[in-house]
Amino acid sequence: MEMRSEEAEETMQQQQVQVPPVLEEKKKKRVMVALDEHEGSFYALKWDLNNLFTTCDHGLGVDQQDVGIMIIVHVQLPFQHYIYPGPAGPAVYGNTSVMESVKKAQEHNSAILLSCAVQICEEKPTKVETVVLDGDPKEMICQAAEQTHPDILVVGSRGLSKLKRTFLGSVSDYCAHHVKCPILIVKPPK
Amino acid sequence: METAGKHILIVGVDDSEHSIYALEWTLDKFFSSTSSNLPFKLIIVHARPHAASIIGLAGPGAADVFPYVELDLKKAAERVMDKAKGLCEQKLVQNVSFEVLEGDPRNVMCDIVDKYQASILVVGSHGYGVIKRAVLGSVSDYLAHHAHCSVMIVKRPKTKH
Repeated sequence: MEMRSEEAEETMQQQQVQVPPVLEEKKKKRVMVALDEHEGSFYALKWDLNNLFTTCDHGLGVDQQDVGIMIIVHVQLPFQHYIYPGPAGPAVYGNTSVMESVKKAQEHNSAILLSCAVQICEEKPTKVETVVLDGDPKEMICQAAEQTHPDILVVGSRGLSKLKRTFLGSVSDYCAHHVKCPILIVKPPK
Repeated sequence: METAGKHILIVGVDDSEHSIYALEWTLDKFFSSTSSNLPFKLIIVHARPHAASIIGLAGPGAADVFPYVELDLKKAAERVMDKAKGLCEQKLVQNVSFEVLEGDPRNVMCDIVDKYQASILVVGSHGYGVIKRAVLGSVSDYLAHHAHCSVMIVKRPKTKH
């Protein structure tokens, strides 16, 4: 399992602020958002930004420091080391070069995903960190949540509206059961 | 998506410590800003079980017991709402609506969400003893699946260190 974290630059300039330490602690929120390629996750991210960080929107000027920290987690599905053959024949182990190129493609995709996410976050005065993990999404997200102890974990929901909203995506369901911090399940609009 | 207007946030409470904790947590996180122009309108909903559902198959004496159970439930509901009101005042949150409805909590919450077109529904989670990791309280689980809005499930941490 690889874990790479990149810190995006702070979006607000730090001004001279006389914020007493107690207040500062109170204001900081650690929010963890789990992203994948689905539309639902981006909607969750935007929704989350709009609603959880609105305290800074009231034209209080540039005195505010970063109100919170947003940690964006993206989990890549592990790439399998063999390739199923098209026609009949035994499974063939992929060359290292094939594996490498697929891995690169995956990384490329995640990088694009994360940069989109960071761009969305840039409007709001929060600090953004991105984390990319490999493995099974449900377990990885729960693990990440255990390690970083966010105030809230935000996940999107697949929005399988065709099933009349009776079934949450299995990842959000699993996370809701196993994670110890409060979890917010954002459903897409109808 | 809603237009520029207040988003409605509903907190479901019952008699347990967990939902009071959930309410407190929500007040802290969402309403702690000192500016009076908050983007959320808070509605606190208590679902009161119907007396008939408790008495159930009591038998011949049921009719007599009914008014007492009814009274007791009303008192319990009032206690819960008083606690909730107290918390709101303590956190200096104004403009809060309170509702008490009778019926099964799952249905009540779903109906309320539809009625107010809420943006978020916040509920506590019981964390039943040994199986607490495996099973969410059934009401919060049901709501996470069936409510027509985003659902926040607030879990009460165990002993904080």
